[in-house]
Amino acid sequence: MSEDSKERLFAALDLFREKVNENARLRQMNRDWNRDIAVVVKDLPGVDAAISMREGQMDWRPEAASDPNIVLTAPADVLIGIFRGESTPTEPYLDGSLTLRGSQEDVLRLDFVSLMLWGE
Amino acid sequence: MKRVYGVSLGSSQRDHTARVTLLGEEIELTRKGTDGDLERAEALIREIDGTVDAIGLGGIDVFLYARGERYTVRDGLRLMRAASRTPAVDGSGIKDTLERDAVHYLATETKLLSAETRVLMVSAVDRFGMAEAFVELGCPVVFGDLIFSAGMPYPITTLDELADIARRLLPEMGKMPFTMLYPTGKAQEEHLDTGRFGEYYAQADVIAGDWHYIRKYLPQRIDGKWVLTNTTTGRDVEDLRQRGATHLVTTTPVMDGRSFGTNVIEAMIVALSGSRPDELGHAGYAAWLERLRLVPRIEHLGGWDA
Repeated sequence: MSEDSKERLFAALDLFREKVNENARLRQMNRDWNRDIAVVVKDLPGVDAAISMREGQMDWRPEAASDPNIVLTAPADVLIGIFRGESTPTEPYLDGSLTLRGSQEDVLRLDFVSLMLWGE
Repeated sequence: MKRVYGVSLGSSQRDHTARVTLLGEEIELTRKGTDGDLERAEALIREIDGTVDAIGLGGIDVFLYARGERYTVRDGLRLMRAASRTPAVDGSGIKDTLERDAVHYLATETKLLSAETRVLMVSAVDRFGMAEAFVELGCPVVFGDLIFSAGMPYPITTLDELADIARRLLPEMGKMPFTMLYPTGKAQEEHLDTGRFGEYYAQADVIAGDWHYIRKYLPQRIDGKWVLTNTTTGRDVEDLRQRGATHLVTTTPVMDGRSFGTNVIEAMIVALSGSRPDELGHAGYAAWLERLRLVPRIEHLGGWDA
Protein backbone atom coordinates (compact mmCIF):
# COMPACT_ATOMS: atom_id res chain seq x y z
CA MET A 1 0.00 0.00 0.00
CA SER A 2 2.68 2.49 1.03
CA GLU A 3 4.84 1.42 -1.93
CA ASP A 4 1.87 2.11 -4.18
CA SER A 5 1.37 5.57 -2.60
CA LYS A 6 5.04 6.32 -3.02
CA GLU A 7 4.95 5.37 -6.71
CA ARG A 8 1.81 7.43 -7.25
CA LEU A 9 3.37 10.43 -5.50
CA PHE A 10 6.53 10.22 -7.57
CA ALA A 11 4.47 9.88 -10.76
CA ALA A 12 2.45 12.94 -9.70
CA LEU A 13 5.67 14.89 -9.14
CA ASP A 14 6.88 13.86 -12.61
CA LEU A 15 3.62 15.11 -14.09
CA PHE A 16 3.84 18.36 -12.13
CA ARG A 17 7.42 18.93 -13.34
CA GLU A 18 6.39 18.29 -16.93
CA LYS A 19 3.45 20.72 -16.71
CA VAL A 20 5.45 23.47 -14.97
CA ASN A 21 8.35 23.24 -17.42
CA GLU A 22 6.23 23.23 -20.56
CA ASN A 23 4.23 26.29 -19.43
CA ALA A 24 5.95 29.32 -20.99
CA ARG A 25 3.95 31.80 -18.92
CA LEU A 26 4.89 30.09 -15.66
CA ARG A 27 8.54 30.01 -16.70
CA GLN A 28 8.38 33.75 -17.25
CA MET A 29 6.57 34.36 -13.95
CA ASN A 30 9.08 32.32 -11.97
CA ARG A 31 12.28 33.39 -13.69
CA ASP A 32 13.55 35.05 -10.49
CA TRP A 33 12.16 32.49 -8.07
CA ASN A 34 15.00 30.17 -7.08
CA ARG A 35 13.75 28.10 -4.20
CA ASP A 36 14.16 24.69 -2.58
CA ILE A 37 10.97 23.04 -1.41
CA ALA A 38 10.84 20.06 0.91
CA VAL A 39 7.90 17.70 0.49
CA VAL A 40 7.22 15.81 3.71
CA VAL A 41 4.79 12.92 3.39
CA LYS A 42 3.06 12.64 6.74
CA ASP A 43 1.84 9.06 6.40
CA LEU A 44 4.90 7.65 4.62
CA PRO A 45 7.87 7.90 6.95
CA GLY A 46 11.16 7.88 5.09
CA VAL A 47 9.62 9.01 1.80
CA ASP A 48 10.80 12.49 0.89
CA ALA A 49 10.98 14.68 -2.14
CA ALA A 50 13.05 17.78 -2.77
CA ILE A 51 11.72 20.20 -5.38
CA SER A 52 14.02 22.83 -6.79
CA MET A 53 12.92 25.87 -8.75
CA ARG A 54 15.68 27.49 -10.79
CA GLU A 55 15.10 30.29 -13.28
CA GLY A 56 11.59 29.15 -14.03
CA GLN A 57 12.45 25.47 -14.39
CA MET A 58 11.39 22.85 -11.89
CA ASP A 59 13.14 19.64 -10.96
CA TRP A 60 12.70 17.18 -8.12
CA ARG A 61 14.63 14.38 -6.47
CA PRO A 62 13.46 11.56 -4.18
CA GLU A 63 15.43 12.73 -1.16
CA ALA A 64 15.14 15.04 1.82
CA ALA A 65 15.81 18.68 0.97
CA SER A 66 18.61 20.34 2.88
CA ASP A 67 17.87 23.87 4.12
CA PRO A 68 14.62 24.32 2.16
CA ASN A 69 12.89 27.70 1.72
CA ILE A 70 9.46 26.08 1.94
CA VAL A 71 8.34 22.92 3.73
CA LEU A 72 5.18 21.32 2.44
CA THR A 73 3.70 18.66 4.73
CA ALA A 74 0.60 16.56 4.03
CA PRO A 75 -0.61 12.97 3.70
CA ALA A 76 0.30 11.27 0.42
CA ASP A 77 -3.21 11.41 -1.02
CA VAL A 78 -3.44 15.16 -0.48
CA LEU A 79 -0.05 15.72 -2.12
CA ILE A 80 -0.90 13.45 -5.04
CA GLY A 81 -4.17 15.32 -5.58
CA ILE A 82 -2.40 18.68 -5.63
CA PHE A 83 0.47 17.63 -7.91
CA ARG A 84 -1.92 15.91 -10.31
CA GLY A 85 -4.17 18.99 -10.41
CA GLU A 86 -7.13 17.02 -9.07
CA SER A 87 -7.46 19.34 -6.10
CA THR A 88 -6.26 22.81 -5.23
CA PRO A 89 -4.01 23.49 -2.24
CA THR A 90 -6.58 25.89 -0.76
CA GLU A 91 -9.02 23.54 0.93
CA PRO A 92 -6.38 21.22 2.49
CA TYR A 93 -4.50 24.33 3.63
CA LEU A 94 -7.61 25.76 5.25
CA ASP A 95 -8.67 22.49 6.89
CA GLY A 96 -5.15 21.92 8.20
CA SER A 97 -4.35 18.72 6.31
CA LEU A 98 -1.71 20.62 4.32
CA THR A 99 0.80 22.79 6.15
CA LEU A 100 3.13 25.19 4.41
CA ARG A 101 6.12 26.64 6.19
CA GLY A 102 8.02 29.48 4.60
CA SER A 103 7.78 33.19 4.00
CA GLN A 104 4.28 34.43 3.27
CA GLU A 105 5.32 35.54 -0.20
CA ASP A 106 6.85 32.15 -1.05
CA VAL A 107 3.80 30.28 0.22
CA LEU A 108 1.47 32.54 -1.77
CA ARG A 109 3.62 32.14 -4.83
CA LEU A 110 3.55 28.36 -4.59
CA ASP A 111 -0.25 28.56 -4.46
CA PHE A 112 -0.24 30.80 -7.51
CA VAL A 113 1.95 28.32 -9.43
CA SER A 114 -0.46 25.49 -8.72
CA LEU A 115 -3.54 27.55 -9.60
CA MET A 116 -2.00 29.00 -12.77
CA LEU A 117 -1.24 25.46 -13.87
CA TRP A 118 -4.54 23.83 -13.07
CA GLY A 119 -6.97 26.54 -12.12
CA GLU A 120 -10.03 27.20 -14.25
CA MET B 1 -27.28 63.90 11.79
CA LYS B 2 -26.33 60.72 9.95
CA ARG B 3 -23.61 58.49 11.34
CA VAL B 4 -21.28 56.48 9.13
CA TYR B 5 -18.76 54.12 10.64
CA GLY B 6 -15.77 52.78 8.77
CA VAL B 7 -14.34 49.55 10.14
CA SER B 8 -10.97 48.82 8.63
CA LEU B 9 -8.49 45.97 8.78
CA GLY B 10 -5.89 48.69 8.34
CA SER B 11 -3.71 50.35 10.90
CA SER B 12 -5.30 52.06 13.91
CA GLN B 13 -2.74 54.83 13.41
CA ARG B 14 -4.99 56.11 10.63
CA ASP B 15 -8.08 56.40 12.87
CA HIS B 16 -10.01 59.64 12.71
CA THR B 17 -13.43 61.25 12.95
CA ALA B 18 -14.73 64.02 10.71
CA ARG B 19 -17.97 65.90 10.24
CA VAL B 20 -19.07 66.84 6.76
CA THR B 21 -22.16 68.39 5.24
CA LEU B 22 -23.38 66.85 2.01
CA LEU B 23 -26.53 68.01 0.21
CA GLY B 24 -27.48 69.88 3.36
CA GLU B 25 -27.19 66.82 5.58
CA GLU B 26 -24.61 66.64 8.34
CA ILE B 27 -22.70 63.35 8.50
CA GLU B 28 -20.32 62.16 11.16
CA LEU B 29 -17.67 59.86 9.74
CA THR B 30 -15.69 57.65 12.08
CA ARG B 31 -12.89 55.38 10.92
CA LYS B 32 -11.61 52.66 13.21
CA GLY B 33 -8.69 50.43 12.23
CA THR B 34 -8.29 46.99 13.78
CA ASP B 35 -4.62 46.41 12.86
CA GLY B 36 -5.31 43.41 10.67
CA ASP B 37 -7.34 41.62 13.35
CA LEU B 38 -10.33 40.07 11.57
CA GLU B 39 -11.96 38.88 14.80
CA ARG B 40 -11.73 42.37 16.31
CA ALA B 41 -13.21 43.88 13.15
CA GLU B 42 -16.07 41.38 13.24
CA ALA B 43 -16.73 42.08 16.94
CA LEU B 44 -16.71 45.83 16.32
CA ILE B 45 -19.20 45.48 13.48
CA ARG B 46 -21.53 43.43 15.68
CA GLU B 47 -21.19 46.07 18.41
CA ILE B 48 -22.13 49.03 16.20
CA ASP B 49 -24.68 47.14 14.10
CA GLY B 50 -28.01 48.90 14.46
CA THR B 51 -26.51 52.01 16.08
CA VAL B 52 -25.24 53.81 12.94
CA ASP B 53 -26.75 54.54 9.53
CA ALA B 54 -24.19 52.68 7.42
CA ILE B 55 -20.93 50.78 7.82
CA GLY B 56 -18.00 50.96 5.41
CA LEU B 57 -15.64 47.97 5.30
CA GLY B 58 -12.11 49.21 4.74
CA GLY B 59 -8.77 47.54 4.17
CA ILE B 60 -10.55 44.57 2.65
CA ASP B 61 -12.59 43.80 -0.43
CA VAL B 62 -15.72 41.72 -0.46
CA PHE B 63 -16.00 41.54 -4.24
CA LEU B 64 -13.35 41.63 -6.98
CA TYR B 65 -14.16 41.94 -10.66
CA ALA B 66 -12.64 41.11 -14.04
CA ARG B 67 -14.51 41.28 -17.35
CA GLY B 68 -17.99 40.90 -15.93
CA GLU B 69 -17.05 38.09 -13.53
CA ARG B 70 -17.45 38.75 -9.82
CA TYR B 71 -15.25 36.95 -7.30
CA THR B 72 -15.96 36.84 -3.58
CA VAL B 73 -13.40 37.31 -0.82
CA ARG B 74 -14.47 34.99 1.97
CA ASP B 75 -13.11 37.09 4.86
CA GLY B 76 -14.74 40.21 3.42
CA LEU B 77 -18.09 38.46 3.14
CA ARG B 78 -17.75 37.31 6.74
CA LEU B 79 -17.40 40.94 7.87
CA MET B 80 -20.28 42.08 5.69
CA ARG B 81 -22.54 39.41 7.19
CA ALA B 82 -21.58 40.43 10.73
CA ALA B 83 -23.89 43.43 10.25
CA SER B 84 -27.47 42.21 10.20
CA ARG B 85 -29.33 45.52 10.78
CA THR B 86 -27.08 48.26 9.41
CA PRO B 87 -26.09 48.06 5.74
CA ALA B 88 -22.37 47.30 5.32
CA VAL B 89 -20.58 48.09 2.06
CA ASP B 90 -17.04 47.68 0.70
CA GLY B 91 -17.00 50.45 -1.92
CA SER B 92 -17.44 48.13 -4.90
CA GLY B 93 -20.93 49.54 -5.46
CA ILE B 94 -19.53 52.91 -6.53
CA LYS B 95 -15.98 52.13 -7.66
CA ASP B 96 -17.00 51.18 -11.17
CA THR B 97 -18.75 54.50 -11.78
CA LEU B 98 -16.61 56.84 -9.67
CA GLU B 99 -13.20 55.62 -10.81
CA ARG B 100 -14.14 55.13 -14.46
CA ASP B 101 -15.49 58.69 -14.48
CA ALA B 102 -12.36 59.98 -12.75
CA VAL B 103 -10.15 58.68 -15.57
CA HIS B 104 -12.38 60.23 -18.24
CA TYR B 105 -12.46 63.51 -16.31
CA LEU B 106 -8.66 63.63 -16.15
CA ALA B 107 -8.43 62.95 -19.88
CA THR B 108 -10.96 65.59 -20.91
CA GLU B 109 -10.59 68.29 -18.27
CA THR B 110 -6.84 68.25 -17.56
CA LYS B 111 -3.54 67.79 -19.37
CA LEU B 112 -2.45 65.00 -17.06
CA LEU B 113 -3.78 62.11 -19.11
CA SER B 114 -3.74 61.22 -22.80
CA ALA B 115 -3.50 58.09 -24.95
CA GLU B 116 0.30 58.31 -24.68
CA THR B 117 0.36 58.29 -20.89
CA ARG B 118 2.05 55.15 -19.58
CA VAL B 119 0.20 53.72 -16.61
CA LEU B 120 1.30 51.37 -13.85
CA MET B 121 -1.88 50.12 -12.23
CA VAL B 122 -0.70 48.28 -9.17
CA SER B 123 -3.82 46.15 -8.95
CA ALA B 124 -6.75 46.06 -11.33
CA VAL B 125 -9.14 43.42 -9.99
CA ASP B 126 -10.10 45.74 -7.14
CA ARG B 127 -10.63 48.65 -9.61
CA PHE B 128 -11.71 47.09 -12.84
CA GLY B 129 -13.67 50.19 -13.93
CA MET B 130 -10.53 52.31 -13.68
CA ALA B 131 -8.53 49.65 -15.53
CA GLU B 132 -11.02 49.52 -18.38
CA ALA B 133 -11.14 53.32 -18.61
CA PHE B 134 -7.35 53.56 -19.08
CA VAL B 135 -7.50 50.92 -21.80
CA GLU B 136 -10.45 52.63 -23.52
CA LEU B 137 -8.36 55.81 -23.64
CA GLY B 138 -5.60 53.91 -25.41
CA CYS B 139 -3.04 54.20 -22.61
CA PRO B 140 -0.29 51.57 -22.44
CA VAL B 141 -1.04 49.95 -19.08
CA VAL B 142 0.86 47.52 -16.91
CA PHE B 143 -1.46 45.74 -14.48
CA GLY B 144 0.62 44.81 -11.46
CA ASP B 145 -1.74 42.35 -9.78
CA LEU B 146 0.82 39.53 -9.67
CA ILE B 147 3.74 41.83 -8.92
CA PHE B 148 2.21 43.55 -5.92
CA SER B 149 0.19 40.69 -4.40
CA ALA B 150 2.66 37.82 -4.82
CA GLY B 151 5.97 39.41 -5.79
CA MET B 152 5.92 37.77 -9.24
CA PRO B 153 7.81 39.85 -11.81
CA TYR B 154 5.08 39.42 -14.40
CA PRO B 155 3.49 42.54 -15.85
CA ILE B 156 0.03 41.90 -17.28
CA THR B 157 -0.56 44.16 -20.26
CA THR B 158 -4.03 43.28 -21.55
CA LEU B 159 -7.46 43.04 -19.98
CA ASP B 160 -7.92 39.63 -21.62
CA GLU B 161 -4.89 38.21 -19.84
CA LEU B 162 -5.95 39.88 -16.61
CA ALA B 163 -9.37 38.22 -16.89
CA ASP B 164 -7.76 34.85 -17.68
CA ILE B 165 -5.43 35.02 -14.68
CA ALA B 166 -8.28 36.20 -12.45
CA ARG B 167 -10.41 33.23 -13.56
CA ARG B 168 -7.61 30.85 -12.60
CA LEU B 169 -6.62 32.43 -9.30
CA LEU B 170 -9.45 34.31 -7.68
CA PRO B 171 -12.04 31.57 -7.06
CA GLU B 172 -9.48 29.83 -4.82
CA MET B 173 -7.48 32.80 -3.54
CA GLY B 174 -10.69 34.42 -2.34
CA LYS B 175 -10.96 31.61 0.20
CA MET B 176 -7.53 32.30 1.69
CA PRO B 177 -7.00 34.52 4.73
CA PHE B 178 -7.12 38.07 3.38
CA THR B 179 -4.00 38.96 5.33
CA MET B 180 -2.04 36.70 2.96
CA LEU B 181 -3.14 38.69 -0.06
CA TYR B 182 -3.00 42.27 1.07
CA PRO B 183 -1.08 44.35 3.62
CA THR B 184 -3.19 44.88 6.71
CA GLY B 185 -2.49 46.41 10.11
CA LYS B 186 1.17 47.16 10.80
CA ALA B 187 2.18 45.94 7.36
CA GLN B 188 0.50 49.08 6.03
CA GLU B 189 2.94 51.22 7.97
CA GLU B 190 5.99 49.43 6.60
CA HIS B 191 7.68 50.85 3.60
CA LEU B 192 9.98 48.60 1.68
CA ASP B 193 12.66 50.88 0.27
CA THR B 194 14.29 47.96 -1.45
CA GLY B 195 14.36 49.17 -5.01
CA ARG B 196 12.52 45.98 -5.92
CA PHE B 197 10.31 46.29 -9.02
CA GLY B 198 11.66 49.79 -9.53
CA GLU B 199 11.63 49.26 -13.30
CA TYR B 200 7.83 49.15 -13.39
CA TYR B 201 7.59 52.49 -11.58
CA ALA B 202 10.35 53.93 -13.79
CA GLN B 203 8.55 52.96 -16.99
CA ALA B 204 5.29 54.69 -15.97
CA ASP B 205 4.08 58.29 -16.10
CA VAL B 206 1.26 57.64 -13.67
CA ILE B 207 1.05 55.17 -10.81
CA ALA B 208 -2.56 54.26 -10.12
CA GLY B 209 -4.58 52.09 -7.81
CA ASP B 210 -4.53 50.96 -4.21
CA TRP B 211 -2.39 53.22 -2.05
CA HIS B 212 -0.91 50.48 0.13
CA TYR B 213 0.25 48.55 -2.93
CA ILE B 214 1.64 51.75 -4.49
CA ARG B 215 3.77 52.47 -1.45
CA LYS B 216 4.84 48.84 -0.99
CA TYR B 217 7.83 49.20 -3.33
CA LEU B 218 7.71 52.95 -3.95
CA PRO B 219 11.18 54.11 -5.06
CA GLN B 220 12.98 56.95 -3.33
CA ARG B 221 12.55 59.10 -6.43
CA ILE B 222 9.51 59.30 -8.66
CA ASP B 223 10.33 62.62 -10.27
CA GLY B 224 7.92 63.72 -12.96
CA LYS B 225 5.30 61.11 -12.15
CA TRP B 226 1.84 61.55 -10.68
CA VAL B 227 -0.26 59.27 -8.54
CA LEU B 228 -3.95 58.37 -8.81
CA THR B 229 -5.31 56.75 -5.67
CA ASN B 230 -7.25 57.45 -2.48
CA THR B 231 -7.06 56.88 1.30
CA THR B 232 -3.96 59.06 1.54
CA THR B 233 -3.17 60.99 4.71
CA GLY B 234 -1.30 64.27 5.09
CA ARG B 235 1.84 62.28 5.86
CA ASP B 236 1.46 60.30 2.65
CA VAL B 237 1.08 63.50 0.64
CA GLU B 238 4.27 64.87 2.15
CA ASP B 239 6.05 61.59 1.40
CA LEU B 240 5.03 61.79 -2.27
CA ARG B 241 6.16 65.40 -2.41
CA GLN B 242 9.58 64.44 -0.99
CA ARG B 243 9.96 61.73 -3.62
CA GLY B 244 9.36 64.19 -6.44
CA ALA B 245 5.80 63.35 -7.56
CA THR B 246 4.22 66.19 -9.52
CA HIS B 247 0.58 65.61 -8.57
CA LEU B 248 -1.58 63.51 -6.32
CA VAL B 249 -5.04 62.85 -7.70
CA THR B 250 -7.59 61.30 -5.40
CA THR B 251 -10.84 59.86 -6.65
CA THR B 252 -12.60 60.52 -3.37
CA PRO B 253 -13.02 63.88 -1.62
CA VAL B 254 -10.46 65.08 0.91
CA MET B 255 -11.95 65.82 4.31
CA ASP B 256 -9.86 66.94 7.27
CA GLY B 257 -6.70 66.50 5.19
CA ARG B 258 -7.26 62.93 4.10
CA SER B 259 -9.08 61.21 1.30
CA PHE B 260 -11.53 58.56 2.35
CA GLY B 261 -11.88 55.10 0.88
CA THR B 262 -14.65 54.32 -1.56
CA ASN B 263 -16.23 52.16 1.15
CA VAL B 264 -16.83 55.28 3.25
CA ILE B 265 -18.22 57.24 0.30
CA GLU B 266 -20.53 54.34 -0.57
CA ALA B 267 -21.60 54.12 3.08
CA MET B 268 -22.34 57.88 3.06
CA ILE B 269 -24.55 57.45 0.01
CA VAL B 270 -26.40 54.57 1.67
CA ALA B 271 -26.87 56.72 4.79
CA LEU B 272 -28.06 59.74 2.81
CA SER B 273 -30.44 57.71 0.66
CA GLY B 274 -31.93 55.71 3.49
CA SER B 275 -32.00 52.77 1.07
CA ARG B 276 -30.32 49.43 1.31
CA PRO B 277 -27.43 48.82 -1.14
CA ASP B 278 -29.38 46.24 -3.17
CA GLU B 279 -32.26 48.71 -3.53
CA LEU B 280 -29.88 51.39 -4.80
CA GLY B 281 -28.15 49.22 -7.39
CA HIS B 282 -25.79 50.52 -10.06
CA ALA B 283 -28.23 53.15 -11.35
CA GLY B 284 -29.07 54.39 -7.88
CA TYR B 285 -25.43 54.84 -6.95
CA ALA B 286 -24.72 56.58 -10.25
CA ALA B 287 -27.60 59.01 -9.62
CA TRP B 288 -26.29 59.82 -6.15
CA LEU B 289 -22.74 60.33 -7.43
CA GLU B 290 -24.18 62.70 -10.02
CA ARG B 291 -26.00 64.64 -7.30
CA LEU B 292 -22.87 64.81 -5.14
CA ARG B 293 -20.84 66.03 -8.14
CA LEU B 294 -17.70 64.25 -7.01
CA VAL B 295 -14.77 65.03 -9.25
CA PRO B 296 -11.16 63.99 -8.70
CA ARG B 297 -9.17 66.22 -6.40
CA ILE B 298 -5.89 67.26 -7.98
CA GLU B 299 -3.12 68.39 -5.68
CA HIS B 300 -0.01 69.88 -7.22
CA LEU B 301 2.95 68.64 -5.23
CA GLY B 302 5.62 70.79 -6.81
CA GLY B 303 7.76 68.08 -8.33
CA TRP B 304 9.18 68.89 -11.72
CA ASP B 305 7.32 67.71 -14.80
CA ALA B 306 9.37 65.20 -16.79
